[in-house]
Amino acid sequence: MTTERAPAISVRNLSIGYGKRVLLEKASFDVHRGEILVILGGSGSGKSSMMKNLIGLYKPLAGDALIDGQSIVTARGETRAQLQRKLGVMYQSGALFGSLTTLENVRFPLDEFTDMGMAEKNLTARMLLRQVEMGHAEAFMPAELSGGMLKRAGIARAMALGADILMLDEPSAGLDPITAANLDRTILSLRENLGFTFVVVTHELTSIFTIADRAVMLDPRSRSIIADGKPAELRDHSDDPRVRQFFNREPDAITTKVET
Amino acid sequence: MNNAQQHDAQHRSGIETIVLGGRITAQTVAPIWRSALETLSRNPNRPIRVDATTLEHVDSTGLALLFDLQHRQRSPGAEVQIENLAPNLAGLVESWDPADFVQTYRRPASIGIAEQVGRVTAALAADFKEMMAFLGECTAAVLHAVRHRRVVRWGEAIAVATEAGANALPIVLLIGFLMGVIIAFQTALVAREFGAVIFVVNGVGVAMLRELGPLMTAIVFAGRTGAAFAAQIGTQKVNEEVNAIVTFGLDPVRFLVLPRLLAAAIVVPLLVVFANVVGIFGGAMVMLGFDVSFIQYYNQLLTAVGPADLIVGLLKAFVFGVVIAAIGCRRGLSTGAGAAAVGRAATSTVVTSIVWIVVLDGLFAVLISRLNL
Repeated sequence: MTTERAPAISVRNLSIGYGKRVLLEKASFDVHRGEILVILGGSGSGKSSMMKNLIGLYKPLAGDALIDGQSIVTARGETRAQLQRKLGVMYQSGALFGSLTTLENVRFPLDEFTDMGMAEKNLTARMLLRQVEMGHAEAFMPAELSGGMLKRAGIARAMALGADILMLDEPSAGLDPITAANLDRTILSLRENLGFTFVVVTHELTSIFTIADRAVMLDPRSRSIIADGKPAELRDHSDDPRVRQFFNREPDAITTKVET
Repeated sequence: MNNAQQHDAQHRSGIETIVLGGRITAQTVAPIWRSALETLSRNPNRPIRVDATTLEHVDSTGLALLFDLQHRQRSPGAEVQIENLAPNLAGLVESWDPADFVQTYRRPASIGIAEQVGRVTAALAADFKEMMAFLGECTAAVLHAVRHRRVVRWGEAIAVATEAGANALPIVLLIGFLMGVIIAFQTALVAREFGAVIFVVNGVGVAMLRELGPLMTAIVFAGRTGAAFAAQIGTQKVNEEVNAIVTFGLDPVRFLVLPRLLAAAIVVPLLVVFANVVGIFGGAMVMLGFDVSFIQYYNQLLTAVGPADLIVGLLKAFVFGVVIAAIGCRRGLSTGAGAAAVGRAATSTVVTSIVWIVVLDGLFAVLISRLNL
């Protein structure tokens, strides 16, 4: 291992959107190794779209995103697949494969990419499931699981291949407070002990203050990043009223005028 | 990536030692794990030392390896001792409770043939009963709609009719034309032997109007539109849209099924008219090759078929259309959970529809011969 490595993820002047609808213009930030970075912003601010651009599922309008110093935007074929395998991704709905049991879902990447024995793969998958408190549901089909359970199984599957960078899209939305707190603890423990880097899309304030080293806040109106820093500092000392409002969970001021 | 993979068993001070070093990840763990297990099974009665001094990094699979070594059942006095494991990793390995892994899940035992036959029969009977109840609901909805025309979502019905009708025209025209060509050609080859080529026109006319027009159109409609109905409504069911409709106090049959039934009832007879026309035209094209001109063909056709033939065909088409739409909607509404269930609903719609089309066609044949139509 070299001491001086490229940032886990480096976002350079990235513009994202769909066709003519631009969500974000020229955003730049780095995700450092071992960091838990939270991407936040109101609904529709492009958080999930940002994540899908970083994974390489969508093509950005302009700019570049580097994983381990390599561009995922321009990479093609096997290079791209290798880059993507460095990322463990949990999608908003869990995205488990409907035809496989929970255990088989978590074992799936191990089946595909390793030549481990079946007993070893099963043990790994079962440990992963227990890590997200899903051990009891290993034999269930995804259709039999609740939304929160699907998410947790999705996280277990994202971790299975030992990707360095875990991307979680709204991991704690829809979870009960205890499970959400346990999940936060699991995330912190994984970072602490296994050195994962996390990019978490969320707007659960409790979770943000518990886990995040840094928060990047997207704003749909100015189509830009309006905050980048430690969540507690942003809450208390940000110059931007929108940022303080978000962190302090304040409603919009009541106005009779229609906003332009 | 892996500079230190010294995972061979070594003899050191008489105790068997497994050295785990470097980075153990999903990509590298397999051989390490295998050789460690070999070492364990080679020495069933001796204690094993696992030296983790040079272990730099593990991922989930590496943790599983450590856990496996630590908790594997060994005879007394032959325990596995993991040494010099970084405290954070040791703590992590400890965080799993081996008792948690004892209970293994077993799939339910497979059932015998007799029980399978019984279950399938019961399922078929239940399905038939449900289908009848559903047809009843549909009839009620239609009658209600006749009296209260505003309850029908005409916009939706027209959109469905466009998709199921206008957009299906190319395939229906193609199939209809080819049907006309094929039956004309096949029968003309035989009829020529007997000098009865001109009567092929009668055959083509009657066959297209009464049987093949409605039948082929219905089969195309089942495959194209019936399956689409099942998939659309099935997806809405999976996405809980159907639940939303119900909790608004709306009737899913009226809301989702009725527009489709109406669209199908109108569109299938119209498609059959097109199929009939191009089928008969296809027959005429073939008959040119057997020295029957268009004029002769036309005159012969007028003597061979009457309005009754067309009406019987259209009546069939109407019934086929309604039945296919009802089956598609029914299968959609009874979709289970998940993407696979939507696929099953679509498949079963096509299969059930085709069975019903053939059965109904048979019933029509009996009915028509009794009524001398």
